Parts: sequence; C-alpha cells; structure tokens
Amino acid sequence: MAEVHVIGQIVGASGFPQHSLFCKWGVHTGGAWKLLSGLREGQTQVDNPQNEEMASWSHPIDIHFATKGLQGWPKLHLQVWHQDSFGRCELYGYGFCHVPSSPGLHELQCVTWRPVGTWQDQLSQLFIGGGPQLKTNDLIYSGADRYRLHTSAMGIVHLQLGVILRHFDRYGVEC
Amino acid sequence: FPEFDDLYCKYCFVYGHDWAPTTGLEEGISQITSKSRDIQQNFVWNFPIDISFKSTNPFGWPQIVVSVYGPDVFGNDVVRGYGAVHIPFIPGRHKRTIPMFVPESSSMLQKFTSWFMGRRPEFTDPKVVAQGEGREVTRVRSQGFITLSFNVVTKDMKNLGYDTTTADLQSPSVSTVTDASYRT
Repeated sequence: MAEVHVIGQIVGASGFPQHSLFCKWGVHTGGAWKLLSGLREGQTQVDNPQNEEMASWSHPIDIHFATKGLQGWPKLHLQVWHQDSFGRCELYGYGFCHVPSSPGLHELQCVTWRPVGTWQDQLSQLFIGGGPQLKTNDLIYSGADRYRLHTSAMGIVHLQLGVILRHFDRYGVEC
Repeated sequence: FPEFDDLYCKYCFVYGHDWAPTTGLEEGISQITSKSRDIQQNFVWNFPIDISFKSTNPFGWPQIVVSVYGPDVFGNDVVRGYGAVHIPFIPGRHKRTIPMFVPESSSMLQKFTSWFMGRRPEFTDPKVVAQGEGREVTRVRSQGFITLSFNVVTKDMKNLGYDTTTADLQSPSVSTVTDASYRT
C-alpha cells in the first residue's frame, strides 16, 4: 500500500474585506484512501492582525493516508468565516485545492468565493451581514450541480503544504 | 514587533509519539535583545539550535514552537507572541519567517485589568500552538515575525521508501542544525 503524508500549515488569509477571520478546513478523499493518523478536519483560531494586512493562523496540518489507488486524491476544502465583536459568525468564502501530488514543500494560494443572492439579499447583507450559505458542503469540492450557483470572488488563503510519498515507485507511479 | 523592545525568546520542540530526540537540547531561552538603532529596527538573537531526532514514521514531524517575551510599561514580563513551524523535511538550508500571535482577552474589562496587573492572557502550555485541536475557541492578535534558518540533514529515508523530493528519497532520522533567530 502506498502512503502519503501531508505535513504543513494553513498560514493565513489575505484579501478579505474585514479582519477577525477563522477558517474551517477538511480533507476529502476517495474510497480507496484510508486515514491512518491525524485529524481529517479542524478549525483555526480567530485572528485579528494588529499591523499587517494578512490574518495569520499558522495552523498545523499533519495527516497520514494509505491508499490502494490514485482515484480520489485528497482535496483540502476550506471555509473562511468572519467573527465580529459580538461573536456572530459570517461566511466569507469557500475554497478548495488538491493536495499537491509531487513530494516536497509547496506554497499554495487557494482562491475563495462566496455565493451571491438576489439584490434584496445583497442589500440586507450590506446592513445586517449574513448572506446565503451552502446547505451541503460537498459542493465546495465537487463539480456536479454547480451551474445553479452564482458567486463572487473573495480573498485568498495561503497554505504551505509538504508532501512525503512512500512506496509510490513500487507501483510504477511517477510523481 | 514594531511597538516593543527588549525581547527574549524561548523555544521548544513538539513532535508525535513515534519521535524521540537523540541529542541536543529540546528547550532553550535566548538572551534579551534591544531594537537596532537604524530604520529597519531588527531584533537579532543569533541563537543556536542543534538537535537530532529519530523516528519510525513521518507522522508527528517535529515542530519548533517559539514564544517571545518582553517587559511592559510596569516592568512585568509579558508574552509578545507565539509561533510554530514544522522543521523542513527536505535536506538543505531553509529560511522560514513565521508570524507571531498573542491571545486576546475576551472583554474590555479583562483587557484593562490584564494591562494594569501585568498578567496578560497567555497559553499555559506553549505546545498548544503546535497542535491543531482545541484552537477554535481562541481569539488571537497577530503582530510581529520571527525568522529562523535551518540546515537539515536526514538519514535513511530513501531506504525506507520515502520520497521527499521528486525522484529522490530520504529517511525519518532527522538531524537539525539551526541557527539565527532574528527580525521584527
């Protein structure tokens, strides 16, 4: 069985309209993949940067997978939320990126998007906040049924992921 | 760290169950340094770190956790930032600049009393910074950066079948020679 280690961190986010952000992340894999150790999902702390433009989380990711096939290569999906001073959480973006398939250290920039509602929704969002959210999270990383969505771009999440592969050459896979 | 002066740092390593340090110091405290007088306002520690680990599994790859402390207006030692980064697993020389953050008080009253009494919110165990669980309830403020440079040597990763760079293999016995922590 080949193994994949993902060792890195969610460094932070930039380009969002407000600070005080946190990120909920998860890793989705296909059926042939088994999680051996590590957390499959998590949530970062809420960061409010003092002087910088970028919110920094430095949230460590350490996951160990074993796999029998290449289908369903792990995808990391993210949701960036904003927490205001009253403690309310507002969605700021969804995004996903594949875990890099070549071993080594990678700097990734994951772009995010937010669903946009009708003009009435946008007007109330301007005053009260809130806004449409996805009912089921798998739309973030799957392509089916996306044509119904109307979205707008939000900021970027920066990740630094290191990938270590084991025994891939035994199966003849070149990475 | 633009607003602060006279800082010192402490470091420690956090690693998984399969890892054990073989030689070297796992923790340390640096000297107290003041800002440089020029425009860049750098803090230089130039603090040496030398440690070796051995392991059976790359899971739980060691991270270095750095905590920076400095005096406040009243002279108490107060935490100025925590930061953590994984030790690079690709052999060679690496430089990492990591952001530092400080836990924030949950209310204005607590902020004022902590400023007054000199007991700012801090983590009881700095190792929490290196873990992914239990962080969703903390609110932090990020300020400042630390730069670390690493020289990493790995042994036997190739023999056990691990690929850490394309078309190349390394092993889980890691020896890290680190030097120089500096920068605002």
